[in-house]
Amino acid sequence: MNGIHIFLLCLAALFVLLYALQPKRPKIAFTYLRYIVLALIAAMVMAPFFWLLCSAFKDSSVLMKYTFLPPIMNWAKEINLSNFRELFKSQPSMEGNVYFWQYIINSLFLASITTIVQMFFSSMGGYALAKYDFKGKKIIMFFMLASMMIPGVVLLAPVYKLIVNIGLMDTYWALVLPGACSVFGMFLFRQAIVGIPKDLIEAGRIDGCSEFSIYMNLIMPLVRPMTGAFCLVTFLGSWNNFLGPQVYINAQSKLTLPVVLNQYVGVYANQYGVFLAGTLLAIIPPAILFFCLQKEFISGLSSGAVKG
Amino acid sequence: MEFPYGKAPFWILVMAIITGLAMMLSRTFTNAGRPDLVFVVFAPRHYEAYLKLIPEFERKHNVKVQLQQVHQRPLQTRLQSALLADTDVPDMVEIMNPFMGAFMKGPLDDVGFVDLTDRVKAEKLDEKMVESRFSIWSSRGRIFALPHDVHPVALAYRRDIVEHLGIDVNKIETWDDFVRIAHEKIVKDVDGDGIIDRYALDLSISGTSFFPIILLQRGGRYFDSQGNLTMDTDITIDTILWYIRQSRGKTRISFPAGEGQPFYKALSDGIILFNFVPDWRSKVFEIDAEDLKGKMALMPLPAWEKGGRRTSTWGGTGLAITEKSKNKELAWELAKFLYLNKKDFSDRFAMLNVIPPLKEAWDLPAFQVEDEYYSGQKIGQIYAELAPETPPDYVGAYYEMVDGKTREVLIDGGVYYEKYGDKGLREFVTEKLKQKAAYVRRVMNRNVFLREGEVEITDANSSKENAG
Amino acid sequence: MKDLKYRAYVKRTPYLFLAPYFCLVCIFFIYPLISAFLLSFQQTNGPKSKAFVGLSNYSFVLTDPDFHKAVKNTAIYAVFSIFLQLPISLGLAMLLNTAKDKTKGFFRLIIFSPNLVGQIFVGVIFSVLFVPRYGLFNRFMQSLIYWGLENRWLENPTLVLPAVIITALWMYVGFNMIYFLAGLQSVDKSLVEAARIDGANPWQVFWNVTLPAIKPVATFVVVMSTIGSFQLFELPFSLLKGEFGPSSSGLFIVSYLYQMAFRAGDLGTGAAVGWILTLMIMIISLTQIKMSGTLEEGK
Repeated sequence: MNGIHIFLLCLAALFVLLYALQPKRPKIAFTYLRYIVLALIAAMVMAPFFWLLCSAFKDSSVLMKYTFLPPIMNWAKEINLSNFRELFKSQPSMEGNVYFWQYIINSLFLASITTIVQMFFSSMGGYALAKYDFKGKKIIMFFMLASMMIPGVVLLAPVYKLIVNIGLMDTYWALVLPGACSVFGMFLFRQAIVGIPKDLIEAGRIDGCSEFSIYMNLIMPLVRPMTGAFCLVTFLGSWNNFLGPQVYINAQSKLTLPVVLNQYVGVYANQYGVFLAGTLLAIIPPAILFFCLQKEFISGLSSGAVKG
Repeated sequence: MEFPYGKAPFWILVMAIITGLAMMLSRTFTNAGRPDLVFVVFAPRHYEAYLKLIPEFERKHNVKVQLQQVHQRPLQTRLQSALLADTDVPDMVEIMNPFMGAFMKGPLDDVGFVDLTDRVKAEKLDEKMVESRFSIWSSRGRIFALPHDVHPVALAYRRDIVEHLGIDVNKIETWDDFVRIAHEKIVKDVDGDGIIDRYALDLSISGTSFFPIILLQRGGRYFDSQGNLTMDTDITIDTILWYIRQSRGKTRISFPAGEGQPFYKALSDGIILFNFVPDWRSKVFEIDAEDLKGKMALMPLPAWEKGGRRTSTWGGTGLAITEKSKNKELAWELAKFLYLNKKDFSDRFAMLNVIPPLKEAWDLPAFQVEDEYYSGQKIGQIYAELAPETPPDYVGAYYEMVDGKTREVLIDGGVYYEKYGDKGLREFVTEKLKQKAAYVRRVMNRNVFLREGEVEITDANSSKENAG
Repeated sequence: MKDLKYRAYVKRTPYLFLAPYFCLVCIFFIYPLISAFLLSFQQTNGPKSKAFVGLSNYSFVLTDPDFHKAVKNTAIYAVFSIFLQLPISLGLAMLLNTAKDKTKGFFRLIIFSPNLVGQIFVGVIFSVLFVPRYGLFNRFMQSLIYWGLENRWLENPTLVLPAVIITALWMYVGFNMIYFLAGLQSVDKSLVEAARIDGANPWQVFWNVTLPAIKPVATFVVVMSTIGSFQLFELPFSLLKGEFGPSSSGLFIVSYLYQMAFRAGDLGTGAAVGWILTLMIMIISLTQIKMSGTLEEGK
């Protein structure tokens, strides 16, 4: 018998009590039960985040000593910013001193540029697939579907060789170009655009708009939710990409957060405190983005699933 | 005017522009000229040490050297894929043992690193350095890297507790002695709660790191000097059995303390008394288990029979020059500058406790210093005395696989032992080991490049010549 | 005349819009695909040496006990992600479905949030949570059911797979929940009410009304989860610190491929594994799609 058990028992007892008091309206008791279950699961999901938050500010010598935080009287001694100080310390490299904020800038740049490029090419392709009938459309769609089933790792070695041969090693081109037009994105945009009435496009044509400006000025503003959803998906993917930068980028000053932070927990290094502090910072940008784009993201993602 | 595609794309666009500008600005500040040599290391401590030394070399030779630090795994992956794809590689790299093996998959010409054998012989380095250390970096008798260290293994123990228990470590000459004393005096339930809370040794259940140490000390090895597979000898079987008996079941003398924080907690709580500690790890202890200062001491490993070898080896770093380097001579100069630098040996020992393979370095004053952490012992002397005895450890192309497969037998055998005890254990282990060895041989035999005589035919360039 | 020209222009447009895709797919997909195909019949050693070995790579992989282990682990993981993770996701979605918008948004945000963290981060974080005696997860299990404080999740061959499954559960349960939530929107509420009035118990309502309504979503999620399971790599890779667990207990098909191609340097065998994996994914997902189709016709 311990705290957790007593707490759970109390919750259960309350349920029984509610049920007993209002036997004719069991709905109240069950609504209560539902929220308790949800809250408990939410707590379990949040626990590692809370642990991460605590660990980032704990002195690395007491990382394992306390489950979450040290007792209050030890705070002055054991809660500090040493992990962050270590993280933001200049790292000597032959390219000059490299600072942590440079990796943040690299990651932000790479994620945002990837997002914009992917969005542009994918939406263009999606528009073509949604609103035009042309020769070979069926074959192309089938090919695209089939290509989604081929795991990326199959191509890792040959693509690596290719990147090297066309001289893109150690450049961000190697990370942006191969995925610049995502099949998944094209399907998502096709899905969103397919429902737009054809009259609108015809009206645009009669007004003398070029096909490109119809796409750019008429269609795209109408699929904002999907644009938002796709922004989030792409940004997340690029922000958390590990294998790409790991394989293609050599210079320390060009590396991105996942790769740099992983360097703190390698064979000869066990700086978990620094890693966790960095991870905490690395979660912030996608969290902000998700917070702003929640609605678009959910409607956008699920529309694909429900209709498809 | 509102951005027509929504707020998110707008802000992402803004971010791309701002960060792009910021990046361009910071690039212009850190733009260095094209270096004459690119040197990649994986150990942060080495990186710091070389960073201080390299300017002197640059002045002396009027060149530019770029030093990079990359983690060991990515470095390995990158080197391998660079060699696979024939792309740019650094001029020089430090490699961690046993990963040199991965480059030995084909004929010697295809290793990708410069064959240093003649250079080493010309400078008489094979005599001046501990000879067994070249084994880690050799294939079929040719040397492909210069050894950075010796890494002899000793036992570090909790002197305070061991003395308190009335154990005289000088009387522990063999492993039999060790196991006997462990049963008699060490392995106990100290606080009487029914759980044993004091063990003699730290042994991992999976045998990672520790099993090869014991095997090598005993004279067993995965490969012989010619690269033949020797994983299924009687020595290996005996060692597996010994390891299982000491790490599994009720009569075990060891505790798997793990690594990092849990390990140091077990060490300072006195749950484990003896540890395998090569020179480099003695420094790690000093830093990570600071509170045990003055409570620790070192002793040579107990021998397998009286008068036998009292050390082993764990780890190692070597410096290799890539075949693609355009400045091989300069690279060799830098290698010698860094690895034979007498001035640096003292600093390096003070910083890392690492014994260099160059024997004359051991007489330097820095190696005679009494170490307060190890109760005033002259640990430089202790390790230097063990260094010449360090066993060779020949790497082959399939070293990692062999190590993994052998330890799988260890794990399976351990499970068997806990279920059925000693009965039939030897047969079980022998059978399993034969199976795994057969598997490795099958993999090795598949490799068309290692088959003698066929190599010429399969080489793309030579076949072209033959055709023409 | 002008009209004709214009029509030709409109006809050409889709190809122009798709031009970036065509270019990129040729360079970064079809060409590598062909070279991966050729590679799978070769053994390579560095850039210079190449040897044609016929089907040897395929026959080796198919008879390699390590590959069998990787397939077994992957299959177990896939089964758990379909029969454990998805039901939990669905359950959560149903619990949330009738909640008020604000509450729904709140819980959705929380339960989805692990997806914002990259696999590589999650792996390292959980490798610390699974530390014996001191790890958060071990302490939690100990205080909940007095079990598992000393569990060596990442060192004990029998516990590695459960550790991977638990980590993945934490990470992905919210992701699939979002799909199910969207699917539940399409359940006809009046139908549910009608069934209730007819005296159907909640289980019958679920089985006969809810499930058929969310079947398109469910099929989609099952297929995507299966494909995802078969491509699992980064999560166990970082959880096990770049290794594959004791006795290959954390070896999955893609890890096997990675190990073959990039650790052992055998690109040819790696490519062969890739093709076998592709074939497996295609067969399984097509079967799943087919199965859900025949079920529908049967009804």
